[in-house]
Amino acid sequence: MSCRENRYFSGSMVFLALLFSLFLTFAPVQGVAVAQERPPDEYGDVTEEVAASAEGTAIADPIEPWNRAMYHFNDKLYFWLLKPVGQGYKFAIPESFRIIFSNFYENLMMPVRFVNNLLQGRPDYAGRELVRFVINSTMGVAGFRDVAKDGFGITGRKADLGQTLGKYGIGSGFYIVWPVLGPSNPRDTVGLVGDHFLRPPTYLSSDLLDPETIALNVHEKVNNLSFRIGDYEIMKEAAIDPYIAMRDAYVQYRKKLIEQNGSEPAKQEE
Amino acid sequence: MKKWIASAALLIFTMVPLFASAGVALDTINSNVSSVLDVMRDPKLKGEAGKKVKEQKIIDAAEKLFDFVELSKRTLGLNWNKLTPEQRKEFVDLYKTILKDAYIDKLTAYTDEKINYTKEVPLSETTVEVQSIVTTKKADVPIYYRVIKKDGGWKVFDVIVEGVSLISNYRTQFREILGNNPPSKLLDTLRKKVGKK
Repeated sequence: MSCRENRYFSGSMVFLALLFSLFLTFAPVQGVAVAQERPPDEYGDVTEEVAASAEGTAIADPIEPWNRAMYHFNDKLYFWLLKPVGQGYKFAIPESFRIIFSNFYENLMMPVRFVNNLLQGRPDYAGRELVRFVINSTMGVAGFRDVAKDGFGITGRKADLGQTLGKYGIGSGFYIVWPVLGPSNPRDTVGLVGDHFLRPPTYLSSDLLDPETIALNVHEKVNNLSFRIGDYEIMKEAAIDPYIAMRDAYVQYRKKLIEQNGSEPAKQEE
Repeated sequence: MKKWIASAALLIFTMVPLFASAGVALDTINSNVSSVLDVMRDPKLKGEAGKKVKEQKIIDAAEKLFDFVELSKRTLGLNWNKLTPEQRKEFVDLYKTILKDAYIDKLTAYTDEKINYTKEVPLSETTVEVQSIVTTKKADVPIYYRVIKKDGGWKVFDVIVEGVSLISNYRTQFREILGNNPPSKLLDTLRKKVGKK
């Protein structure tokens, strides 16, 4: 008897559950229909929950006048000098060669990524950077081709000292725009200086103003720029206040880089 | 036992809509992005006459891909509630125009790249993040679309490129204006920006 009662009861529960799930399925649809019948304010209000889905990132900007001045300096530098040079370079050098150069510089910067992956507690990625370096420097002819990725599917992981410090819990501090170098903050500036000592071109000469070292660095920058001409223009055109837009993009980009690579257990099985 | 069966049944039935939607958002975004790119690539739409037709076609395709009202609401956040219904309408129109003017021509340069849709991650009951990787000759660029289910379809309300969210970026800019000014000042600023074109 109790067994039959049991079965009857669970049957009714299943029925109830079904009803409930049906209700759940149709409820939102009805809600939308009702909302559309009111013409005066068809768009409706924003709830706290929806508002929280996007965050306007915030960074202290105590030296905004300096930063804005530097932003304008960099803007003019781009339009008057860097862009024309980059365009001429892009026109003169075929894309396949520019990709070879880009691979070469990327390969050369391996120590920066190797050390920082280690510092971030990721020996797996550090190892991959090492393997990539060996393969690309030999089979890829001094890093001209990315054989490790194209042939073996081994990809590296970007890592820099600013990111490492961020992962150690050091805050970004306030916003700084450096002339030529662009958006930064105290933490990433320290990172930039630290990484400088991990870049092989730093040791080409003991002279800080060695012409060959400078030429190499300038060529790297121009070569990289030749792939990105037009990106800044789109950003500027789309922005209401390009200075704020750039500041926010930098903050979001760095924040993501620090958070994303910080806790990604799924990636470890790769 | 009773409780177990009941909760299992409840679980199964409430899960069904979740499973049914798996992959649909990704497929929708895939096909809607493709149709925007197809119009951009269309070799028949050249010259002055073709340009007008092309622009209209891109706008139509973009309307299918994006939910501009949702995008506007989430950009302004709680500030949206300070706008009157008329101001809301105008804001959506102006915002749409600014995005269109900035991106419509320039994005044509990116149409040759390969796009891989990797996965979709549920964010809430009605929103999903569709993740894609655009492979250029030089690098892989992650582009994530945040989409919302409305009226049975999936529409984009945010695009996140290399970790930078479109609506968050505009929210920071708009907040700067709305901090010390009424909403009408924001609309003035947007009108001026659109008028300059």
